[in-house]
Amino acid sequence: MAARPRPASAEAREALREAMERLAAGDQSALEDIYRMTRVKLFGITLRILGDRKEAEDALQDVYINLWQRADRYDPARASPISWLATFARNRAIDRLRTGKVRGGAVGIEEAAPLPDEAPLADALLVDAEQAAQIRECIAGLDERTQTHIRAAFFDGHTYAELAEQADVPLGTMKSWIRRGLQRLRACLEASEMA
Amino acid sequence: MNGPEDILPEETGPEGTGAQPMRDDPMLAAEWALGLLEGEDLLAARGKYATDPQFAWRKEWWDNWFAPWTDDMAGAAEPGDHVWQGIAGRIAAQAGTEGGGLDAASGGDVIELKVRLRRWQWVAGLTSAAAAVALALLAFAPDNAPVTAPGAVPAQIAAADPMVATVPIGETGLRLDVTWIPASDKMLIAALGLSADGVHDHELWLVPQGGGDALSLGVVAPGEVRSMAVPQDIAAELHNGSRLVLTREPIGGKPEGIDAGPVVAEGAFTRV
Repeated sequence: MAARPRPASAEAREALREAMERLAAGDQSALEDIYRMTRVKLFGITLRILGDRKEAEDALQDVYINLWQRADRYDPARASPISWLATFARNRAIDRLRTGKVRGGAVGIEEAAPLPDEAPLADALLVDAEQAAQIRECIAGLDERTQTHIRAAFFDGHTYAELAEQADVPLGTMKSWIRRGLQRLRACLEASEMA
Repeated sequence: MNGPEDILPEETGPEGTGAQPMRDDPMLAAEWALGLLEGEDLLAARGKYATDPQFAWRKEWWDNWFAPWTDDMAGAAEPGDHVWQGIAGRIAAQAGTEGGGLDAASGGDVIELKVRLRRWQWVAGLTSAAAAVALALLAFAPDNAPVTAPGAVPAQIAAADPMVATVPIGETGLRLDVTWIPASDKMLIAALGLSADGVHDHELWLVPQGGGDALSLGVVAPGEVRSMAVPQDIAAELHNGSRLVLTREPIGGKPEGIDAGPVVAEGAFTRV
């Protein structure tokens, strides 16, 4: 199991949880706090998926505007705020990738503006460390090839068709590989939930 | 352990190569969470999510497990300042104000004001249209300090809290909402329930606390929310508790040299 979260991290998570609660209660000034605390992390996600600074910024705007409009969608019983926000940001970016003309892909390092000192919370706001360790362990149990494709789907937002093309295999083959991998991944994760 | 949604496979992959794993709903949820789907499959998954709680549960289960991976994506860059500006602008626009043009610093103030106006609507029963226009005045008025000097805003507004008066008109249920925003030297008059009868206009007056002639705030525009710049002599007379009266006048308002018409309604300002 991974190290316990540092105090700074616990503090940041608590501040975010509190801001989400205020937002859900209708306090819209909470949105600015949430933005300040999470923008760097969420921008990292939309930028990675969309591979274009302008598109990633547009997606980021969508995320927060959506959050403001539907703050009640977040269910604290289901996920931590940062986990939920990160998933939300990635899903919005993927949606944009699927409907738009954007070409996804990794972002060149030159695209990445340096971080200002006043954005330290991005570091502290990691998704649950124990959970992170568990998914890593389960993924590591898959064969190398399947790991690579599943990670490529997650990190670069590739579809089955794109993965098949890149790997130069038939679409059906790629689907088989990934589905088998996902089946094993699910079994491993469920086993860990029982432990 | 198997999830509660474990049901019989409903579909196998069309490209079956013999050992094709089943694509049941949990699998579809996994594929969607990973971001693999497009076209028809994506639509199908979205449809199921909206209608099938078990499917939605499983999708979120996968989302949750994949979420730690986002830690490896994050922290590379800072979005431009215009991003927050855009968010604040869109939110202000959706709140019914004239959107856009916010700078990043005043965006937060506007949201804060919005919260305050909402509270105000409850306290004073201010109509939402009037509240929205009040917000627009504060945020966008060209001669308004918040836009040009965002740093100075909170103190300024705190020192000069807005005041609201509601002026009920008889037993009709109709009323005027009058909002005075010292920070902008603007008064906002919402006469949404009123309609013109073609024979009369209504004129709004401020009754000075120390006595003396009532000061005209002008003819009310029926059915509209109007803002007016408030002259210095009138602004000086506006206090918590200041009384307003509404008189019925000929079209165009009280003629020079003639007494004002009958008072049809009155109200008083309350600081909020």
